[in-house]
Amino acid sequence: MKQHHTRSALVAAAAATALLLGACSGGGDEGGGGGGNGGDGGDAAPTELGFFTDKAAWEPQFDEMNAASGDADQSTLSFTGYSDAAAYDAFIKQAFRTNDKPDLFTWHTGGQLGELVEAGLVAETTDLWEEAAANGDVPEGLIENYTYDGKQYCVPLNVVYWVMYYNKQVYADNGLEVPTTWDELMSNAQTLVDNGVVPFHQMNFIFEFVWFQTVVAGSDPEAYVGLQDGSVSYTDPTIVEAMEVWHQMQTDGYFIDPGVTTDPQTLLQTGEVAMANFGTFFTGQLNALGMVPDEDYGIFAIPNVNPDVEAQQAIVETGPLCVGAGSANEQAALDYSAWWMGVDAQNAWTEAFGDVSFNPNVESPDPALSAVVSQVTGPDFQIQKRWLEATPVPIYTVASEEFGAFVTNNGDPMAHLEAIQAAADAYWAEQ
Amino acid sequence: MTAPAARREEMLPQRKSRNAFALPSVGFIAPAVLLAGIVLYLPFLYTTYISFTDYNGLGDPEWVGLANYVQMFSDPGLVNSLVNTLYWVAGTIILPVGLGLFLAVLSHGLPGATFFRLPFLIPYALSGVAVGVIWSFVLQTNGALSQIVGFFGADAPRWLLDAPLNTFVMIVASSWQGAGVNALLFGIGLQSIPKEPLEAAKVDGASGFTMFRTMTWPMLAPLTTVVVGLSIVGSLKTFDIVWGMTKGGPGGVSETLALTMYKETFITNDYGLGAAVAVFLTVVTVLASVLYLRRQLAPERSV
Repeated sequence: MKQHHTRSALVAAAAATALLLGACSGGGDEGGGGGGNGGDGGDAAPTELGFFTDKAAWEPQFDEMNAASGDADQSTLSFTGYSDAAAYDAFIKQAFRTNDKPDLFTWHTGGQLGELVEAGLVAETTDLWEEAAANGDVPEGLIENYTYDGKQYCVPLNVVYWVMYYNKQVYADNGLEVPTTWDELMSNAQTLVDNGVVPFHQMNFIFEFVWFQTVVAGSDPEAYVGLQDGSVSYTDPTIVEAMEVWHQMQTDGYFIDPGVTTDPQTLLQTGEVAMANFGTFFTGQLNALGMVPDEDYGIFAIPNVNPDVEAQQAIVETGPLCVGAGSANEQAALDYSAWWMGVDAQNAWTEAFGDVSFNPNVESPDPALSAVVSQVTGPDFQIQKRWLEATPVPIYTVASEEFGAFVTNNGDPMAHLEAIQAAADAYWAEQ
Repeated sequence: MTAPAARREEMLPQRKSRNAFALPSVGFIAPAVLLAGIVLYLPFLYTTYISFTDYNGLGDPEWVGLANYVQMFSDPGLVNSLVNTLYWVAGTIILPVGLGLFLAVLSHGLPGATFFRLPFLIPYALSGVAVGVIWSFVLQTNGALSQIVGFFGADAPRWLLDAPLNTFVMIVASSWQGAGVNALLFGIGLQSIPKEPLEAAKVDGASGFTMFRTMTWPMLAPLTTVVVGLSIVGSLKTFDIVWGMTKGGPGGVSETLALTMYKETFITNDYGLGAAVAVFLTVVTVLASVLYLRRQLAPERSV
């Protein structure tokens, strides 16, 4: 009798637990996809790769990319999109603690990719970069974003050039020409202020650092690079001077009130701001409002603040497409990455997105974009990393709050720089 | 012999057969206990463990003892978050709870009271983030509220830019959403008050505010305790409205503890520090709830 009860207890527990586990395990086996061999070098048969991204809105475009890669006898992607960046980052990190490592996934350059590389989670792509460089498929300077200890990891998913968008009607109404020097840009701004138009857009969150990077890189590119490795202090005279330039622009009323939360694209469309310092992803947002490039709005490269700086500075942001080290289809994913960098894939990319490609051999279908891109990738230009990715996360966290407060209250620049430098000192002391 | 003992005696013959089912019943309960342990206790213990480590979500957490707690309490940003959180607690008790009570008392006993309270309930159907986005249209520079103030010839303050004003206006926004449900709860409480004592008080000459202060309010106490208790816990973890309106900015001035926890964990990727804030927030919440409920539900205080 007792035995009977023990057995029924076990049966009940087992049945209930089995139900529980069955319910939990529904979502497993996401990383894999089809067969494929386990990354033992050499070409792998095309398969379906598990692909993860925080850009959920890009699914239709990736369907088009699948059509292109299928036609080229390459692997295709099984798309899983997240719309919350923080949840996505946590998911990817968790995925590497399981046996379902992602084949392909999008990530962030800078310290965040550095963390993955250090933990040995992403596959090396040095060979892919050598081949792409030989084919002229990558612009000079881009490789810096993907290099850790002399080796490359991941390939560029996309590239964003930070440039100035302007409302052509507002420019015409105020008799303005596209500036080729910083002085001309400032004189345009002054004319606009005199005529009651707000010259520039800026925000006190997410993109609060944009004018800092523009002014510092355009004043002293070496100091801009020096900030990234701690060799230059945020309180060095050249940085203070750049901050004063920004401070003066705010004092002169060159920026929209940071309390305005209307979308920047709407503000540019209505002419509430004449210009917006933005990445080339802004084109898509303006076009979505029905604005026509080169008719309703134009784009120009922002001139250097310091006319003595020889190379024209261009800020470039790039997002990586990474292969999970030890994933089920590692080799097939590396093959796909190699194809991704080439002209065929990038032509499909520009067609699907209407965006620019990092590949200099591929032209954007958008005339305004392709004009400004050929300008900033030309011989007179020097590519700089975007400040956000170029800055270690603990320094960025403090600095973004300081810049946010500076944009909001236009207080004493030095106090903000000292607060940022304190965080930088703490960070570099630990390295 | 006391009554329970007598009952136990009566049940003695049955004890054996009940015992016979004890073991299988453990089997049936085990999965539920296991589930609660896995999804409720384990995460809390794990978070507590993480709060003593340096961890960025990759590799293995590295034990650092109390370093995260030291860093947390020496950070002026945390003090600011704590102060903002206390504003939220006080503001939530005054506004949404106070307004809810006001609405419930005003509409109580009126024909069609439900229809008077209904519109206040509609915003409750929205998520906090959506409320935040909608209200930021109203409160932004040159937004609706600034235009109204401007119409009367005054200069509008920078609602969402200056602290602590931005926290106060966000509390108002959350009252717009939260007052209705409190009114509903208080309405139920008012209906459940027995009529006889009120009628007796009426005969004795009580009416209006005196009636409310001496009769209705004390008899409403059990429900008030629940509403205020829920409000304290809810406001201590204020996140979504602030996230929707200011993201804790500008420059972190409107951050609450819950935002600090989220930002440290998922934006800065300092899981250890984020977990330390989470543990601190949990301790504060539990302590506040226990102290409050102990005081309110103590038998000698019951009416």
